[in-house]
Amino acid sequence: MFQLTNACKKFGQTVVLQAVNLRIEANSIVGLAGLSGSGKSTLMRCMQGLEPLDQGHVDFKGQSGFMFQDFQLFPHMTVLQNLIYAPTLHEPLINHREAALNLLNTLGLAKKAEAYPIELSGGQKQRVALARSLMMKPTLLFCDEPTSGLDRATIEDVSSLLKAVKEMGVTMVIASHDLEFLTKIAERVVMLKKGQVAVDVQLANFSSPLAYLKEQYQGEEDETIN
Amino acid sequence: MNAVIVIGKGLVLTLELLIGGVFIGLILGAVWAICRYQSIGKPIINQFISLMRGTPLILQLSLVYFSAPLLLGLHLSILLAGILTFGLNSSAYFAEIFRAGIENLPKGQFEAAATLHVPSYYLWKDIILPQVLKNMFPAMVNEVISLLKETALISTIGGMDLMRNAQSLGAEQFTYFMPLCIAGAYYYALVLMIETLGRQIEKRGHYVSTHECL
Repeated sequence: MFQLTNACKKFGQTVVLQAVNLRIEANSIVGLAGLSGSGKSTLMRCMQGLEPLDQGHVDFKGQSGFMFQDFQLFPHMTVLQNLIYAPTLHEPLINHREAALNLLNTLGLAKKAEAYPIELSGGQKQRVALARSLMMKPTLLFCDEPTSGLDRATIEDVSSLLKAVKEMGVTMVIASHDLEFLTKIAERVVMLKKGQVAVDVQLANFSSPLAYLKEQYQGEEDETIN
Repeated sequence: MNAVIVIGKGLVLTLELLIGGVFIGLILGAVWAICRYQSIGKPIINQFISLMRGTPLILQLSLVYFSAPLLLGLHLSILLAGILTFGLNSSAYFAEIFRAGIENLPKGQFEAAATLHVPSYYLWKDIILPQVLKNMFPAMVNEVISLLKETALISTIGGMDLMRNAQSLGAEQFTYFMPLCIAGAYYYALVLMIETLGRQIEKRGHYVSTHECL
């Protein structure tokens, strides 16, 4: 479905991605793990096309969406306007209002349709950002640190929501340093280390995937310290 | 009372210059800022802004009014020369205000629009400029107030504005104190009106601050 080949990226003299190859199968959830600075956010940004690759190429034919760590909702628009703005630009003859209200209802935000982003909690903003991405009917959705800054209860909600999104037929790539969250939601985890793929495993192959990933993390932290 | 009416006749020209200058200044200022951000003609725009900010407005006004017929064969009326000069001059200041506003917006707003495939025209019109206008509104009100006071320079090329009317009346009556005080009262009243209007418009904003909600 999505193929990234030999992706290389530098910022100045700093090498951020080194010959990364990644194939993502349709209707799966792939977790991108790694310590801060390992290159996971840059990798996702390159996959989405927000950053140009220095080398390598992306092979993907379809609609992709991106959920930002800090949501990036449009603050001067209401929740409903945030959702219908882009779809209306692309398909002006279709009334997107009903679809947006249904989606908000599904996400438990029906009462917030006319609210502005400033009036929402972190978890609500997260759901609006998800809804805004889903309004574009993506087949592949990139989520950058979707649990960042959220409490445990809200993280559980986000996990359930993302699983529900997968049921809608959306393939997801989720970057997170939260291994517990990733093992709950992802079927496969790719761990980056110094801009390279260090681990790429199907979690079903492990009796305790969290322990395995933590072990990999630990080894990486030790190397970073040394 | 008669003096108030006589001087007040200059209010029309003052307001025409202000409205025309702000209109041109805002539009061109936004255009300069967007072009600079997208690196379209950036060196030329930078030079234009530098010249506009680096030379006296009275010199620019005299050049446009007295030199346009010689250089371009255009005979501009006092009103047109004034609106053009004040518009071009304020566009340089508005461009800097817009630049600061654009640079203060999170880069993610541009990226969010890109991931939603928002075309460039709509990105600026619907997403970036409304936020910049909201965030930079107080600075823009300041620029409008400055421009209002600078319109008094139109008297140097013969425009019968508030200031020129006050000077004429003073010359007729051999006393300048009262006419100048009346002109000053007109300007001050206008400034207070602009400030009040600005505050009302600001209050109409539905969200508190761009950065608080991101």
